[in-house]
Amino acid sequence: MGLLEARGVEVTIDGAEILRGADLDLAAGELVAIVGPNGAGKSTLVRAVSGLRRPSAGAVHWSGRELRRMRGRELARARAFVPQRMPVPAGVSVREAVTIGRSALLRPLGRMTRADRAGVDGALARAGVTGFAERALATLSGGELQRVQIAIGLAQEAPVLIADEPTSQLDLGAAVDVAGLLRELADDGLAVLLVVHDLALAAAVADRVVVVHAGRTEAAGHPAEVLTPERLGRIWHADARLTAEGGRTALHVAWVASR
Amino acid sequence: MIAALVVALLVATGASLALGAVKVPIGEVLDTILGRGGSGPNHQIVAALRLPRTVEALAVGAALGVAGAVLQGALANPLASPDVIGVTGGAGFGAILILIAFPASVALVPVAALCFGLLAAALVFGFAWSGRNRGSTGKIVLAGIAMLSLFTAATTGLLASFPERAPSALFFIAGGLTNAGWEGLETTWPYFAAGGLLAAFLIRPLDRLALGDDVAASLGSRPQLIRLGAGVSAALLAAAAAAIAGLLGFLGLVVPHVVRMAGGTSSQAFVVPASALGGAALLAGADTLARTVRAPLELPVGPFMVLLGVPVFLWLLRKAV
Repeated sequence: MGLLEARGVEVTIDGAEILRGADLDLAAGELVAIVGPNGAGKSTLVRAVSGLRRPSAGAVHWSGRELRRMRGRELARARAFVPQRMPVPAGVSVREAVTIGRSALLRPLGRMTRADRAGVDGALARAGVTGFAERALATLSGGELQRVQIAIGLAQEAPVLIADEPTSQLDLGAAVDVAGLLRELADDGLAVLLVVHDLALAAAVADRVVVVHAGRTEAAGHPAEVLTPERLGRIWHADARLTAEGGRTALHVAWVASR
Repeated sequence: MIAALVVALLVATGASLALGAVKVPIGEVLDTILGRGGSGPNHQIVAALRLPRTVEALAVGAALGVAGAVLQGALANPLASPDVIGVTGGAGFGAILILIAFPASVALVPVAALCFGLLAAALVFGFAWSGRNRGSTGKIVLAGIAMLSLFTAATTGLLASFPERAPSALFFIAGGLTNAGWEGLETTWPYFAAGGLLAAFLIRPLDRLALGDDVAASLGSRPQLIRLGAGVSAALLAAAAAAIAGLLGFLGLVVPHVVRMAGGTSSQAFVVPASALGGAALLAGADTLARTVRAPLELPVGPFMVLLGVPVFLWLLRKAV
């Protein structure tokens, strides 16, 4: 049994059908990239399976447990959701923010134990942010903040980390850094679900890619098998070809139509 | 920082009990409070007048500080205060309605302030939680401002229609404490207690909300429920405060900002308790000053506190990042 099993998920927002039937599976140690054009429903899909948006139809199970029946700490223990960019409250340090993440595991008014503080230290270390743990969030660069957001998710100690476009506001170096971190976490046994626009990045780090198009999951599998020139042309309306060689990937795009 | 606030609170409480038109030595104050006898006039003054008034000042100050802190946290808006969810406007209307239309029933003023304050907040949350995008910060703030305008207009209308009775309403609008004994607290203490308890449970959820709705939801909280809880807590606290001390809105707006600026952090685990201590110390201190500077004349503590507080606030604001 996988960690996540979603079947026929539909989401309607203000009368508009955003998701019309999406399936998703996720197993431990696997990095799955969700790709698709703007407005295809990628973010809506991961928000729906995370419990951030109520599906209008379909079934979502986390380790066999129905999402609809999950609340509070149980939900926090099942998955961590990392948004694209969180607001930065004044005067809050990296360690304090990760401690807030850890508080998801405490009872209301319950106190942090020694194990909880060790959990915070562990999350800081795994995300590689121990070096600036005492700095205020407001002083961090975009890439550093994204790592801190991942650390907040790791502090929940959930077996699944879901990141919604973590690299889309980052420069090349920071994007490489965050992509590498997510791959490392999957290699350590975490299941990672990554919403991403950059197809070359997806092909480089993902074990599987899931293509979302017009509210449906239309293909899933190994990047090279799924991201074919035919599909790039049909779905993204681009004349493009993906190449992969020794851990390096490239997307060859005809940016300007030849005349 | 918390230690400094506790010291300020103790000093303000001691001063409030000892100082006034009659100065009572602090030894006699302690004897009275600890129940170590005493039956002279000083004992009477402390036990029957100063102690209830001081406790009221502490409760009202703490309540307004906490109400402002949880609202500013829940709405992620530095301008949030009990005004913004309609409580102040509703409470003002309720009190003035009694003072103007039913002057014989003056004892009902606290009850009316409490009821209309809670009614206004209920209307705000009712509208903010209906239709699309329910429970969003923008909807709550806009519904609150609309309700504030409505009740303020109704209050002004009442005052203008009965100008000969307006003076009796002025003290309530200005805001201040009286020597009415334990009467006010006897009716309102459950509201202070419920609002304060709810605020204590909201500290951690509010810290999660400060990292955004998505992070709060990832951590298993429900952002709309946190905002609703904060609104209920603030409405209970601010309506109870208005029932006792009239309209002291400034305190709820400013105290949380001052403790954030002075403490250098917006972590709610610090801001909420520090706002309670700071608000209590500020109101007890200001009330003591208002009673003593021109004794036996009493200055209304509301405007007095604003006149002294605004320059301090602006000075802090200049230094803040």
